[in-house]
Amino acid sequence: MAELKQNQKYWGDVSEGEVLPRVTMHVPFAKVILNAAATNDYFPGHHDPEYARAQGQRNIYLNTMAIEGFIDRVATDWAGPGTFIRKRQMQMRASIYAGDTMYGEGVVTKRYQDAAGRNLVDITISIATDEGPRVPAALTLELPRH
Amino acid sequence: MATVAQAPFPLTFGTYTDALKLVGQAGAKTVAEFSVTWEAIKVYCALVEDANPSYWDENYARRQWGGIVAPPGLLLSWCMALEWHPTKERKHYIMALRVPLPGDTLINVATSTEFDRHLYLGDRVSVQDRLVQISEEKDTRLGIGHFLTTEAEFLDQDGARVAVQTNQLFRYRTHEA
Repeated sequence: MAELKQNQKYWGDVSEGEVLPRVTMHVPFAKVILNAAATNDYFPGHHDPEYARAQGQRNIYLNTMAIEGFIDRVATDWAGPGTFIRKRQMQMRASIYAGDTMYGEGVVTKRYQDAAGRNLVDITISIATDEGPRVPAALTLELPRH
Repeated sequence: MATVAQAPFPLTFGTYTDALKLVGQAGAKTVAEFSVTWEAIKVYCALVEDANPSYWDENYARRQWGGIVAPPGLLLSWCMALEWHPTKERKHYIMALRVPLPGDTLINVATSTEFDRHLYLGDRVSVQDRLVQISEEKDTRLGIGHFLTTEAEFLDQDGARVAVQTNQLFRYRTHEA
């Protein structure tokens, strides 16, 4: 296997206001079906377009776990694989449909140590499609220290 | 709108007054049907196109974490109900699905998860959730219904806490229904 990137951010190297690189992912119909299979989630809004439309949606849409995974990826693509996600909050204000392209962008809002001495970084992440913002998220990451 | 009413998810129907009686109640503790496997991790990483070596590279993962770990976003999936089982009724641990309300469909709205530890290959999660709050009737873009807030605790097979999650979903009827 080709070597995967192991570049790691260290807590001391992060600054508040730092902008995370944008991550883009296309979501073809097959990916939404893969989503159902990969997360054992057969709620019909995620695989049955007729059901999704009857629910008031335009098409089948990604589930919570797929969006969480993409948010986490935006965080760890930037911070590195030795990052522990301590907390993740997300609000699904609009759906991400089969056929959409999703974008993840983020910014560092705070760098601090908690009472337990953990080296933490708070970031906000925004997931959008071409129609605009869909899912705002806020994460707390624990980073290693030099 | 017949397809919504025939939802294959096992919803319980009733009134808001019926539903309020369940606030504070806990659901049944459920042990996951699925143990943590590398295969499931790879399929999920293929979904979100995550190249994190913690999930793919045994040597890296052993050095960094002591072994391959599960992506945190997979947490809920281990506890999902099988589509069919030879002896068990298909039943979701998610308490909010069993709350009696008029809405014939639902959509998840928000989650907040705090993680204590990674899950490793072979781990077996258990979960129990509790109904915390049901909103009054709200009229939204999707339809008319109620927001249900639940709190779930996820443990590993040794009883160590893996994560706690607060979840909010919207149980509703479309405006056309």
